[in-house]
Amino acid sequence: MKKLTGLAALATAAALALSGCGGSDKPDGSSGKDAGDKELTLWLAGNDTNDDLRKYLKDEFSKQNQGWTLKIETIDWGDLVTKLNTSLPDAKNSPDVVEVGNTQSPTFTNVGAFMDITDMYKELGGDDLLQSFVEVGAVDGKNYTLPYYFGSRYMFYRTDVWQEAGVTVPKTLDEFNNAVITITDKNPRGIKDFSGFFLGGSDWRNGVSWVFANGGDLAKKDGDQWVSTLSDPNTVKGMKQLQELQQKASKAPADAKDQSPWLYINDTDEASEENSQTTNTALAAATIMAPGWAHWSIGDPTIGADGQPARNDGGVIIREWNPAKFGVFVLPGNDGKPAPVFAGGSNIGISAKSQHPEQAKSLMKIIFSEEYQKMLGGAGLGPANSQYVSSLGDDEFAKALVDSALNSKLTPAAPGWAKVEAAGLLDEFFGKVAQGGDVAKLAKEFDDKITPVLNNG
Amino acid sequence: MTSHSPEAGQSGKTSAAGTSRLAAPDAAGSSDAQGNGASAVRLRKRAGRTGRAHRSGRGRTFRWTPYLLIAPAVGILLLALAYPIGWQLVTSFKEFGLAQQFGQPAEFNGLDNYIKIVTTGETWMVVVRSVVFCLVNAFLTVAAGTALATLMNAVPKAVRLILQVALLLAWSMPVVAVMTVWNWLFDWNHGTINWLLVQAGAEGYSRHNWLENPLSFYGVATVIIVWMSVPFVAFSMYAALTQVSGEVLEAAQIDGANAWQRFKGIVVPMVRPVLMIVLLLQIIWDLRVFTQIRMLQDRGSFPSETDLLGTYIYREGVGASHFGMAAAMSVFVLLITMVAAWPYVRSLMKEETI
Repeated sequence: MKKLTGLAALATAAALALSGCGGSDKPDGSSGKDAGDKELTLWLAGNDTNDDLRKYLKDEFSKQNQGWTLKIETIDWGDLVTKLNTSLPDAKNSPDVVEVGNTQSPTFTNVGAFMDITDMYKELGGDDLLQSFVEVGAVDGKNYTLPYYFGSRYMFYRTDVWQEAGVTVPKTLDEFNNAVITITDKNPRGIKDFSGFFLGGSDWRNGVSWVFANGGDLAKKDGDQWVSTLSDPNTVKGMKQLQELQQKASKAPADAKDQSPWLYINDTDEASEENSQTTNTALAAATIMAPGWAHWSIGDPTIGADGQPARNDGGVIIREWNPAKFGVFVLPGNDGKPAPVFAGGSNIGISAKSQHPEQAKSLMKIIFSEEYQKMLGGAGLGPANSQYVSSLGDDEFAKALVDSALNSKLTPAAPGWAKVEAAGLLDEFFGKVAQGGDVAKLAKEFDDKITPVLNNG
Repeated sequence: MTSHSPEAGQSGKTSAAGTSRLAAPDAAGSSDAQGNGASAVRLRKRAGRTGRAHRSGRGRTFRWTPYLLIAPAVGILLLALAYPIGWQLVTSFKEFGLAQQFGQPAEFNGLDNYIKIVTTGETWMVVVRSVVFCLVNAFLTVAAGTALATLMNAVPKAVRLILQVALLLAWSMPVVAVMTVWNWLFDWNHGTINWLLVQAGAEGYSRHNWLENPLSFYGVATVIIVWMSVPFVAFSMYAALTQVSGEVLEAAQIDGANAWQRFKGIVVPMVRPVLMIVLLLQIIWDLRVFTQIRMLQDRGSFPSETDLLGTYIYREGVGASHFGMAAAMSVFVLLITMVAAWPYVRSLMKEETI
């Protein structure tokens, strides 16, 4: 009896313990459709596609498909891989058309999650489409996902602080490295913990430019196997430069990722303004590297009718770009041309389990139409079709975006790449280098960790 | 069927905290009601009596009512637990990755997943870290909770009410809200903690990053987790303390026992059953801690240095899409939990049969 009650108690304890690992049945991102419901589901990642673009897609889709409506669901970037994992294989819950990060695309195209749309390739833009993105969406010469939009990264800098430190816009990578170290040393405004160049230690998406600029890469295909190439001499050289910058120019924590670096380049930030003490304490960096759309978050606060900083619906202060203080330039490479940057952006494709392939293809045609591509450019997103790049405009941001994108690179098209990212292996490698670790030793250690994941589809 | 697998790993995200917190009011209720375990004994006696009556009496009709009454509960338990656990057990013996999730047949690979787990050095590092972290947190929580309960027992009613309301507020705060606030407090750039330390003269804490060093990371995690779990222990222990008879304490006082002697010699033995249950629950919860660690990791630190079992499984399962491995890992954690809990469960049983 005693033993039996003991077992019963243990079983209950076990049930409690297991329920943590068991799980709920219903994926929360489901788009449950009833039979006969004439609705097509489109998943968009994040809020980069603005409301005007969404409205256009919905209206145009209903116009071209009598009796059909388009349902757009927004998935957070952070949840995207998980939700694709659970929903794409399930015909009942699969969205029909899906936006997927360009680096995540190979993982899913390699397991057959997307429909073969090779027959539409020409019609949707063909060789005018951004080829590096087309490649990550293709397997064995067949097209599964196509570019949706591209973004790029460039430098935002404080023209006033650079001038006070007596440095000018650099022409080569070495000049850049020296300039930001000089600014840090001179610290013209005497700000505590001031960074000439603020770069999160674990921010590999921006930091990888130093690897690319020195001729290194993250991985390469050797025969039919992918190999991590962190130990490659060129990669090590780039990482050593980065390490020097981290030690001498950046005061960012070694574990910081690429979240909101613009906080450090503005004179004031939210925290100080909320206490209505608009001081200069927030300024902590003379230079940052960020995706092009960061310029909406950089500038001086606009003052509303009540004399307080004006805020948007989300409560975020609306900023106005001030050319007297801020400027942009493209990170130069060693040859004076733009250094290769890691391209941002995403791909789009039709789920292999879509129940409405006809309508899904119709939506793809709308997305790749001249009108929508130009709308993308108007919204500051690089259009997939290079014929319409001029729609980005010709201001300094558009120029920097196009110049840096011309020499942009993508992450390796290895089947396991999304897993390398999800496991945080590169964040950790870059972070440990930023801490001041032995680059060659760390490179070897992470090569050994990353190579098996690359090939494991 | 296949669509469940990532959920199995992911659920840790929500239900590690979810279930433990959900289970809490129940547990609080039952340990409340049990007081010193007497009601359980009473229940068992009653059950025995019915049994005898059934055998010796006119046992012509089989009593269906009790079974009918528990049927829905058993049914729900089977549906909600047996299926996912069964699926998890089966998956743990399979090679199950992203390809299988997208329709490739999942093949059984025997004990491969388990062998990989026990032969990976990192697993054991994570196990050791988790066990140490769990013990430190569980004992700190129970100590702090008991101290607060003793305080509640000693102070006037008004003060006690304020204390109880404060504890309830802390207890009822959703974990994501709690973590957001704590993350702000410990923020390296704008954090209140750093600001206070600098104001107090510790200049070195300006822009101090609390999460980069693993030990400091666990220190922050411990503060948060203890803060979140103390109310449950405090309320349970307070309920137990109210059952300690005043006369006994008075008699001891007359006999010359001082306050500490009375606490150690009378109060603790009398509330021991509740203390043990609370400690057991804390150990189980703290071994499975997930949300707090995960949200701190989102903020900073290197995951491989700060992973505990929950986040390790999540990274393996959802992050790397090794669902088979993650399932095996979860079963492995279950075994660890059972081994860790067994001595406590046994001693609990002993207490109750006396």
